[in-house]
Amino acid sequence: MTNPKFLVIGGGPSGLSAAQDIAEAGGDAILVEKETFLGGTPKKLHYSLLAPDMKPVEEVLDPLISSVENSSVRRLLGASVKSVEKKGGRFNVTIESNGTSVSESVDAVIVATGFSHWDPHKKYEYAYGVYPDVIDFKDFEKMLSDEKIVRPSNGQQPKRIAWLLCVGSRDKQVGKFYCCRLGCAVSIKQAMEVRRIHPEIDTYVYYMDIRTYGFWEDKLYWKSMEEYGVKYIRGRIGSINKGEDGRLIAMAEDTILQRPSEVPFDMVILATGMEASEGTLEASKLLGLEIEEHGFIKPLESDSMPVSTAVPGVYVCGTATGPKAIPDSITEGSAAAMKALNYVRRRTIKVPAGA
Amino acid sequence: MTVLQNLPRKKTEPVQSSMVIAGARPHDDQTEALAASIFRDFKSDFRYKEYVLGCINCGECTTGCPAARFYNFSPREMLQIAYQDDPLVLLDAMQEKIWACCQCYTCNMRCRFGNDIAGIISVMRELAVKNGLESAKEVLKPYSRILLVVMTKGTQVSPDMIQPDFFADWGPFAVARQTDIKTLRKAIPVDVLQVTDSSWEVSMQTSLELFQIYKEAGVVDMLKSIDPDLVEMIEDIVDEWREEFEEMKEKYGIGV
Repeated sequence: MTNPKFLVIGGGPSGLSAAQDIAEAGGDAILVEKETFLGGTPKKLHYSLLAPDMKPVEEVLDPLISSVENSSVRRLLGASVKSVEKKGGRFNVTIESNGTSVSESVDAVIVATGFSHWDPHKKYEYAYGVYPDVIDFKDFEKMLSDEKIVRPSNGQQPKRIAWLLCVGSRDKQVGKFYCCRLGCAVSIKQAMEVRRIHPEIDTYVYYMDIRTYGFWEDKLYWKSMEEYGVKYIRGRIGSINKGEDGRLIAMAEDTILQRPSEVPFDMVILATGMEASEGTLEASKLLGLEIEEHGFIKPLESDSMPVSTAVPGVYVCGTATGPKAIPDSITEGSAAAMKALNYVRRRTIKVPAGA
Repeated sequence: MTVLQNLPRKKTEPVQSSMVIAGARPHDDQTEALAASIFRDFKSDFRYKEYVLGCINCGECTTGCPAARFYNFSPREMLQIAYQDDPLVLLDAMQEKIWACCQCYTCNMRCRFGNDIAGIISVMRELAVKNGLESAKEVLKPYSRILLVVMTKGTQVSPDMIQPDFFADWGPFAVARQTDIKTLRKAIPVDVLQVTDSSWEVSMQTSLELFQIYKEAGVVDMLKSIDPDLVEMIEDIVDEWREEFEEMKEKYGIGV
């Protein structure tokens, strides 16, 4: 009997975790990654520290990456799946890697194709792309990891920074009805990081709800006030204008004081939401997976079978099924690996029904 | 006990507490009955469910609102009042605040919950007129001449009728533009007959039919509570026309 073969699409936290667990269980895993490196979006966009333990992203992901690199996992970088054909319970896939085409026959597929950050250009009133000092929080994450906090307009250190939560989330106007789950935590973490390096910079977070669920409440939300002096304004910035001195003017309603507020800022950081990545949509088309109402891949049962799909032998994990934090994605990767391994085991060994 | 000052008031206290917050005059039983009736009509209006969905209090509507910059007015507050169940607070908002809205619909464009805030304010305005609120009378006073022409002739307002005297809030630019309206009107590309004292001639029959529609639709009754003299004037004119029209029909043997 040949060793069961698994295809893992996507080399981010969940894909790495799935591939690692399959290899550890003795399966043959092929890991296909579009980029030329492993680690997914956190690595690609140079995330800085991870909430809530303030650990550098390398410290969290590098052990996972090296464990995959030192295992039997066959890694195809700069590669993408071009076609999938289901035949006799197996999947015949064509993978294009660095210009060459590879054909493989696998027993099960794990989709770990992830998310992308929402493009804030579509929210025109925030003037993203018009004023250089209005930036996306993924761009600011890169600034933090480079330890260079400067205003893009003049290269000087900002005196006052604002974060605006829920840009491209919880918004019917742009068709994104859901919460991105991480915007609050990441923004607060960024503000704490700023205050840690530069206590002289004033940091303000504009929010309508702070959703630092679970342990993030005290580790981020409370701590940011108690220890870092991050300030919170309850109300959303409705538009961003430019003042005479070149600073940004954030127009908002302070909904607690119930009056309009106009505050000058040197930088405004937009906490953009999450949406399904292009790779996720491609994978759903290739494998015939259903897309749910928010645009992500629909799991078979979102409550009891979150990593299974309607297609037998195809499993899904990480942010391909919706917004998720890195630890959750890693957990789901393992869960998908387990489900896939069991699927193959059931097919090769006759197991009584119900087992 | 100073610590407890910020807690919500107890339910046993009279409803007046909320009225005080909203800045209303003290009310009597009559006011309460009026508020209850308006509240009922408001909540059962077919547009209510469509316009008022919910509110996450983000404040983006108020941020973009031009009226909020100049008046004690907030679309978010209006929506909250529309969403909540306090008849007296609703009535109070309808006395003055709703008239600050300039119906630009920026709040609708901004609202991430998809509420139609300007729309629900116009429903409130309708109810204010229907119930003959003093505030509505005050606000609509400058429009009586316009209403007279619209309701009798069915035409738009003629430019000559809009005079600065009626609009205290007109800035100097609006007044300056009004002085040479004949020339300015010539610049309008569409056919406006180049006149400023009337818009276009509407046949007597059309005017009578239109008035019938106003009557059936309840517009006349609505106006009665605001300006009974105006309605009387309009009815006199229409009655006269009707007689004239009947005479014409008889004379030419039409529709006998």
